[in-house]
Amino acid sequence: MSKPILSIKNLKKTYPNGVRALKGVSFDVRRGEFLVIIGLSGSGKSTLLRCLNRLHTPSSGEIIFHPQASTRDSAVLESATDIATVEGEKILDIRRRIGMIFQHFNLIERHSVIDNVLHGALGRTPTWRSILGLYSHAERAKAMGFLELVGIGDKAYYRAAQLSGGQQQRVAIARALMQSPELLLADEPVASLDPATCHVVMDYLRKVNRELGLTIICNLHFLSLVRQYADRVIALKGGELVYDGDPQQIDDAWFSRIYGETAKEVHVN
Amino acid sequence: MSQIIRRTIFDACIFAYIIVFLLIAVQRPDSDHLIEQMSGYLLIISALGIIGALLSLFLRAKSVTTLGDIIYMPAYLRPSIPGPLPLYRTFWGVELLMTLVATFVLGWFITDINPLRLLEADAISSALRLFGEVASPDWSILPKATIKIIESIFIAFMATALSTPIAFVLSFLSARNIMGKTWLGTVICACLRIGFNLSRSIEPILWAIIFSVWVSFGPFAGMLALMVHSIASLAKQYSEIVEGVSDGPIEGIEATGAGAIQVVWFAVVPQVVLPYISYTIYRWDTNLRMATILGFVGGGGIGTLLMEYQGQSRWPQVGTIIVVMAFVVWLMDAFSSHVRSAVK
Repeated sequence: MSKPILSIKNLKKTYPNGVRALKGVSFDVRRGEFLVIIGLSGSGKSTLLRCLNRLHTPSSGEIIFHPQASTRDSAVLESATDIATVEGEKILDIRRRIGMIFQHFNLIERHSVIDNVLHGALGRTPTWRSILGLYSHAERAKAMGFLELVGIGDKAYYRAAQLSGGQQQRVAIARALMQSPELLLADEPVASLDPATCHVVMDYLRKVNRELGLTIICNLHFLSLVRQYADRVIALKGGELVYDGDPQQIDDAWFSRIYGETAKEVHVN
Repeated sequence: MSQIIRRTIFDACIFAYIIVFLLIAVQRPDSDHLIEQMSGYLLIISALGIIGALLSLFLRAKSVTTLGDIIYMPAYLRPSIPGPLPLYRTFWGVELLMTLVATFVLGWFITDINPLRLLEADAISSALRLFGEVASPDWSILPKATIKIIESIFIAFMATALSTPIAFVLSFLSARNIMGKTWLGTVICACLRIGFNLSRSIEPILWAIIFSVWVSFGPFAGMLALMVHSIASLAKQYSEIVEGVSDGPIEGIEATGAGAIQVVWFAVVPQVVLPYISYTIYRWDTNLRMATILGFVGGGGIGTLLMEYQGQSRWPQVGTIIVVMAFVVWLMDAFSSHVRSAVK
């Protein structure tokens, strides 16, 4: 068994307004797994993901990142790094190695689809080159390749705003893949999509997980999706870890522990 | 606590103001007298302020709701104001009405309003003569006026064109959502904002006076005046747009590992381009209006011509200039609103 890609130890996050979003969370993320995080809104799921790529700075705790040996050109990170405490340029390097997709896609709607995918290369492109739009042919071909991987190669020169929600989320996946990440974070990737589209997007996530071997950490609302896609699930409640294990073993008792007594499971088919 | 201090100071000022008004109404001093006796009056006014404050505290003890209470009362206490009484039956309502009436009456006398003067026979006849001359423009100066209005248009254009890139950069440096993340950024942001407000509070016509001394009379001075004003105005308007951008795309670009400049360029700029264009066109429009009168203080353009003819009372020529100015300003206004609705 290889080392976990991430070892999170006693992670805490208190916002400046005093809200304690994470109260000491510990778990490992195994390389190549599809890990799903569940929990109510406000349970700390989004905060947790944003701590992992340092969009937020944790208050205390460790996030030990074991990069894959000898696959990276960047020399900034070689051995295990504590993401929780890196600073300056190294934060950017961490973000380059960890792709992220969002509930509201967070694309640049006025830019073309292909340009949005190329944004994934910003981290390794010098500022002046990126502003002048001088991406190499290799980068452009790579971007096109990822668009085809998520099945929207024909939409490359549309404006992002012209695409449907599901298509925009696929562009976001292509943008994240463009970073050549080792880890993909997905914050409620299907929460603003209709049930049919929702499966298309989840299937593409599974595809990049299986075919590209990309480790995925995904926040989800619907338990039925969790059972279908997750290799492993962890549950957060009030900023604490309350479940870590097999998605098939979350029964009604666990369900009401995680979501509260009055909750009722909703199925997405 | 601070709310009580504020309402007391506010009410003290209002009471002092009403008493001063009543004293003036009784005594009817002229302005020479006021200037001579200024220090004495200041003493009386401060004394009245103290009396006002005492009165206000007395009213508070009697739990009378004053205007200061209404203004500074925290929202959660609002419901305790007794029901829908007519304004004139509440203390604060009477206070408000007295203040408004006193201000209106004072204003009437200070601005020397005299409607009858509009109707005096000789005044009407000279006004009619002037209108008649202005209304029969002297078209022989049209070429000259055209050249000068073109000068005004370009003064306005260059001022806008040169201020836009500067304001563009400054707008990001003065936007709280971009700069507020670090201590140094917050300081830079605050300093820039103070600078903008100071330079905006000086009207372009005053800047033109300064620059016409600096670089001597002419269109360059006018252009500089408008530019200084435009930089501050545009940077402020632009930075408000920047503060209104949505955070999602910023997070999206940040998550790719992009640097700070890349985040601004790729996530913020696309969201602000259209409103920026709209504000810039509008600024050109505004600058043109101002450019037409900057000539009065040596800022070049058609205002120079207008001042010349007006000084010589050559009203038909003034009439021509008014027509040219109105036509161009109207045209620019139409153009600007057309472009602005197109980029929405």
